[in-house]
Amino acid sequence: MSRGTNAGFDRHITIFSPEGRLYQVEYAFKAIAQSGLTSVGIRGKDCAIVVTQKKVPDKLLDPSTVTNMFPLTPRIGCVMTGQYADSRSQVHRARVEAAEWKYKFGYDITADMLCRRLADISQVYTQNAEMRPLGCCMILVAMDPQKGPVLYKCDPAGYYCGFRATGVGAKQQEANSYLEKKLKKRPELTYERSVEMAICCLSSILSMDFKSTELEVGVVTKDIPKFRTLTEAEIETHLTAIAERE
Amino acid sequence: MLEESGGPCWLSEEVKTGTTIIGVEFDGGIVLGSDSRVSAGASVVNRVMNKLSLLHDKIYCALSGSAADAQTIAEIVNYQLDVHSVELGEDPLVRSAATLVKNISYKYKEELSAHLIVAGWDRRKGGQVYVTLNGLLSRQPFAVGGSGSSYIYGFVDAEYRKGMSRRETQEFVVNALTLAMSRDGSSGGVAYLVTIDETGTEEKCILGNDLPKFFDQ
Repeated sequence: MSRGTNAGFDRHITIFSPEGRLYQVEYAFKAIAQSGLTSVGIRGKDCAIVVTQKKVPDKLLDPSTVTNMFPLTPRIGCVMTGQYADSRSQVHRARVEAAEWKYKFGYDITADMLCRRLADISQVYTQNAEMRPLGCCMILVAMDPQKGPVLYKCDPAGYYCGFRATGVGAKQQEANSYLEKKLKKRPELTYERSVEMAICCLSSILSMDFKSTELEVGVVTKDIPKFRTLTEAEIETHLTAIAERE
Repeated sequence: MLEESGGPCWLSEEVKTGTTIIGVEFDGGIVLGSDSRVSAGASVVNRVMNKLSLLHDKIYCALSGSAADAQTIAEIVNYQLDVHSVELGEDPLVRSAATLVKNISYKYKEELSAHLIVAGWDRRKGGQVYVTLNGLLSRQPFAVGGSGSSYIYGFVDAEYRKGMSRRETQEFVVNALTLAMSRDGSSGGVAYLVTIDETGTEEKCILGNDLPKFFDQ
């Protein structure tokens, strides 16, 4: 077929290019990497954890108000990677969707249904010309009452999937390769091992040793199914354990 | 007598929670109490209904008036508080919950017929009891509501003392409920109690034969 009458708009709005690509969606993925941060999520035997870098670029910023970890419901939490404003918009939408589900159907939403709902919303943005996709990616963790620990990721393309472990952000290729290697033998992942593996993954791909103020860790465990973020002291304990093992 | 046509009369009567509800503050928390009778005309449709509804972990409301209206308001406010509390990142204020209930009660005051007493504990002001009758919002040390409340105004006014302990407050609530249930035809069944303080929420159900005995020849 001939080149068609796209008139070059296929890069500006979400319509197909002649090769069948959606450039705006691809640019959205680049926007995630632009933030410069990387996050990692690991699903253990009876826990699910997410770890992200905490970069406070400006000395005048109050670090206690900077966070990429967000509880969505008491049992489901997430880490956002990418454009901060888009992240907060998606988090707010997720919270409202979860509460609406509980009101409509009378029981708490599960992580997979919430992820599916957000992915479906993201897909709409890839079809509507008047709205752009969000430049952020969400990794959800929860203790599902039937399935145990679960880890889900949904991206700007509207794709979502459950993972044993995954990485998102500027260094996601390296993170995913590292995790693939470590999980190849399907080791049994206790809570401590999962947290340490995630922190080591970030250390290794970014070639830096972290201080407890430079990391954020969010966990759900079988004993405490509520989503919570670890305090600096708890992160310090894990960092010390890693250092001792080496 | 004319024959009743169209099925039993309770099918066409509105389901009301002809009720006794009471909320009392004590130092460090609150006690909410209710009876358990749901009537449709002269028929008791449910004799063990728990009229104390959860709005949030440490905020409950007591339902009275039309059963459907009251339940719906409680469910909507529960949904609104879910979003509100996760956005705040902490437990909501009792006043917030009461304000949400009041807003619905006032906006739809012509269509709805329900009175909810909202009570709970929060970090800022401790135990609080709010009335939301007809769309007003008022904090009170104690509050009674429902059809059975008319019979116990004298009792609660005379017997309430400031600074009661948790135990004394629970006894006060149970006594008030028992007296109302024995005089009001639309109240009865068992007594439900919810005690909320800093440490948590305790739900209790006191069966009919365990209620205190008053003069009843």
